[in-house]
Amino acid sequence: MKLSLSFFAVGVLLLLLQTTFLHLLPLGPVVPDLILVLCVYWGLYHPTVGAVLGSFLLGYSVDVVSSPILGLNAFAMSLVFLAVYLSSRSIWLHHPVVSSIIVLLASLVKGGALMLVWTFFLSVDGFWIGAMRYILMEALVAALMAPIVFALLRRAQAYVEKVHVPA
Amino acid sequence: MFAFLRKNQILLSSCLCLILSLYILTAAARGQLKNDPIGPILLWIMRPLQLAAQATTNWIQDIQNNYSTLAGYRSENEKLRNRIQELEVEKNQLLEAEATNRRLQQILEFRSQLPAGSVTASIIADSGSTWFKSCLLDKGSADGVRKGLAVVTPLGVVGQVVAVTARTAKVLLVTDPNSGVDVLVQRTRARGIVSGSLDNGPILKYVKRSEDIQEGDRLVTSGLDGVFPKGVVVGAVTKVRKQTLGLFQHIEVMPAVNLGRTEEVLIVKPDASQGKN
Repeated sequence: MKLSLSFFAVGVLLLLLQTTFLHLLPLGPVVPDLILVLCVYWGLYHPTVGAVLGSFLLGYSVDVVSSPILGLNAFAMSLVFLAVYLSSRSIWLHHPVVSSIIVLLASLVKGGALMLVWTFFLSVDGFWIGAMRYILMEALVAALMAPIVFALLRRAQAYVEKVHVPA
Repeated sequence: MFAFLRKNQILLSSCLCLILSLYILTAAARGQLKNDPIGPILLWIMRPLQLAAQATTNWIQDIQNNYSTLAGYRSENEKLRNRIQELEVEKNQLLEAEATNRRLQQILEFRSQLPAGSVTASIIADSGSTWFKSCLLDKGSADGVRKGLAVVTPLGVVGQVVAVTARTAKVLLVTDPNSGVDVLVQRTRARGIVSGSLDNGPILKYVKRSEDIQEGDRLVTSGLDGVFPKGVVVGAVTKVRKQTLGLFQHIEVMPAVNLGRTEEVLIVKPDASQGKN
């Protein structure tokens, strides 16, 4: 319970960071997708029903805050979580490079999903060309940030679990 | 059944979430989702947090902006300082060029008064000695300069060439104790020899006690020594002392040319000086 609450707090914090602060980073139009990184982390290290709901809710929150259409990010985050959860069974994960690669692929999955959904529901002329560039850039940034975020989350998880279950 | 659900709960819940999100998407895209039940709650929860986060972000941004502005001012200040220094150097160069131009103009005008053949030269070194008063010019035998030539400026006599190399010439200044210039007192036409001394600057020698010499009298070259052209100013009398004994007066002279501040000179060739005579 305590861990779930902690993850909820982390999710809210990342959402806040992403919607208020991260656009100030000198990365041009790209905003690091920390929520995606958290969803990947959940898919890899904390695959629970709560994490599934958390991914969905975080995506939905992004939709509520910033998306032009509800359900877009909720779908993408749920898909990312599922993809990572399914692939995590056959991947050796305890290396920062591997986590970066997984986040990169997850980000590409998310981008692909967003593009498909966007094209299907909101047809915008010339959307693909610009979107491809942003997807790649966002995936790279997310992959670069993944090891740091993972390390922080792992430390936080270890700390909470240690407090929660005293020896 | 229950075991299957329990075993695949994550997979199933994920699929449910996907289906739910697709349903929401479709409904939202078709405009059927009039009342979003979760959105307002989320926003209600997020609003104070976002306000606080935004305030913090704005505060950080303000600090960053202030720092950037200050850094910008500092950088601009540094640039302006550098620019001022550059302009100072430029200004000095221009003033120097103007001064040089003026001096050269004077020399040119003076040169036109002399017979052709005079050589313009720059002083490139000083004697650097208390005992000897000389200087080094940047022209030598390659430029037609020879030992014994007169060296003058528009203001007056400088000295005489005493040694020459291909590219340099050494000049013995009129203030050197070993120098001697045959002069006339411009007002009375009395003759004498101006020579340097180690005491109080040049003195006018061999002027009879009977001659009327006064302070301020101008001394000009007589042209009789075969070195200096006639009529070039050598200096002015600053002090006259008629001694009780002896044939001659003791006359102190102020050189017309401030030798410490002279940069360009004219070397007068013998033919020229003779022609002038």
